Amino acid sequence: MDRTATLTKKETSGHESQLGLDTKADRLTDHVKTGVVSQAKGSAYIEQSNTKVVCSVFDPREIPRKSGYSVNGELYCEFKFAPFSCIQWRSHQPDAFEKECSLILRRSLEPAVCRHEFPNFQVDVYALVLENDGSALAAAITCAALALADASVPMYDLVVAATLGVHGDKKFMDPTVEEESLCNILPPDGRSRNHGIITAAFSPAHQQMSEFAQSGAMDIDCATSSIQLLREACESIYLLSQQCLLKGVTKMLKKKQKEIKLDLSSDRIAC
Amino acid sequence: MYNRGFRCDGRMRLDYRPMEVETDVVSHASGSARLRLANTDILVGVKTEIDTPYPERPREGKIEFFVDCSANATPAFEGRGGEELGTEISNSLATAYQSSQTFDLTALCILPGQQCWKLYIDILILECGGNLFDAVSLAVKAALHNTRVPKVKGACLDGGTVDLQLSDDPYDCCRLDVSDAPCLVTLCKIGDHCVVDPTAEEETCSSGSVVIAITEKSLVTSVFKTGVGSFHPQTLIDILKVGQTIGLSVNKALRAALLEEEQQGRKKECFGFLK
Repeated sequence: MDRTATLTKKETSGHESQLGLDTKADRLTDHVKTGVVSQAKGSAYIEQSNTKVVCSVFDPREIPRKSGYSVNGELYCEFKFAPFSCIQWRSHQPDAFEKECSLILRRSLEPAVCRHEFPNFQVDVYALVLENDGSALAAAITCAALALADASVPMYDLVVAATLGVHGDKKFMDPTVEEESLCNILPPDGRSRNHGIITAAFSPAHQQMSEFAQSGAMDIDCATSSIQLLREACESIYLLSQQCLLKGVTKMLKKKQKEIKLDLSSDRIAC
Repeated sequence: MYNRGFRCDGRMRLDYRPMEVETDVVSHASGSARLRLANTDILVGVKTEIDTPYPERPREGKIEFFVDCSANATPAFEGRGGEELGTEISNSLATAYQSSQTFDLTALCILPGQQCWKLYIDILILECGGNLFDAVSLAVKAALHNTRVPKVKGACLDGGTVDLQLSDDPYDCCRLDVSDAPCLVTLCKIGDHCVVDPTAEEETCSSGSVVIAITEKSLVTSVFKTGVGSFHPQTLIDILKVGQTIGLSVNKALRAALLEEEQQGRKKECFGFLK
């Protein structure tokens, strides 16, 4: 609807020959939308190519199973794949991979949230992947940060995330599911021993990396050079997040203005 | 004093605390190791079981990590308190060992598509004195080095089910190749500098740490950040480079220690849990 912001990804054809970046012609548009779940305090929905993630944030509540007082609030994050989201059916119970992703999600968001503003309380963030076409965790991090902002949770900055897949000397930005499974295997011809997936979360306003999660096996130079690539990808997604949030806030202000006008006009009729 | 590179216990920023490792401490396990890193005490036991391989990977065995934060370590681990930390450590180990370059799972295959070995690696945290990730990964590497997998003498197909005959001789077994197994190195950021091997007190006053898994061949197999802080990209690059050099020396030191222990053979002094 009106609060949708769309970004057309520019072709990085200039870089292709240098870095072996693989861009697919059909991965051109990303859609982001806030305020999708009416029952939640704040929510956001993101679509990156075929990956669809929805995230809801709820009001702060008391930390369950805790008796002492904590000066900083806590973030409770849950990352879940819907049973029909992946190629194979996924169980309703979170498995080890989903628990790890929940942990990465929490670590990415914690540095950006002003936890001292809600001491002794816990803010719940639930991210659900409706369809997984690769890079679901990065999409969930971006979505969750927007949902937190939509829920008016005090934050230092918006967090955005991107994924990079490495296979031999090729690097894939925002890999699809097939590319991700390729990056988990060693290149067969033995030319290079690098392979893996890196998910990085970035806060562009403060130029801080809030999470860097790498798996697979690669040289240290490969890992350090990917930091720069991921940073650039995050900067472009950041613009999209900012636009989306701005649209959401202006829409809400216009709605409030209309309500105020209607109230005033109804008073005149009553008198 | 901290800015000049000294720490509370007199170490330099990149120094480890004294470490002691002993293998073959548990007789019922296929492999075991105990590692003491100052106040941190880790016990790892490896059990081998026969299992069916995953259908999409018929030539590979299986490996599973489980970390138990015992209430012996701190009262905070009572009941389910240590579960979150345990899951974090086991997930980080699983990610570090995921690549085929670190641990060759095809060595655990018995009959492709039918039977394979499954290694259950159980880690017990007996005492928590800071720097759990490093200690656990070193103990796991030592335990895997010590693991003896029984040799399969024969196999016959009996109406669809496979009947395996294992060797009767307890000394007739094969060893695992852990030359490429990674070691986790924790680099804790305190103020403007990062320190290696933080004590429990240093961990509480840091904003965040980066854990990097390095193999002997200088491959990075896992990187993740713990704690609530964030890093500037340049700081992260510097931390990764420091972590790589430290990781290589730690791997070498552990290898030398394990070889020395093996050379002592039957004459080796068993300390067990008394020291």
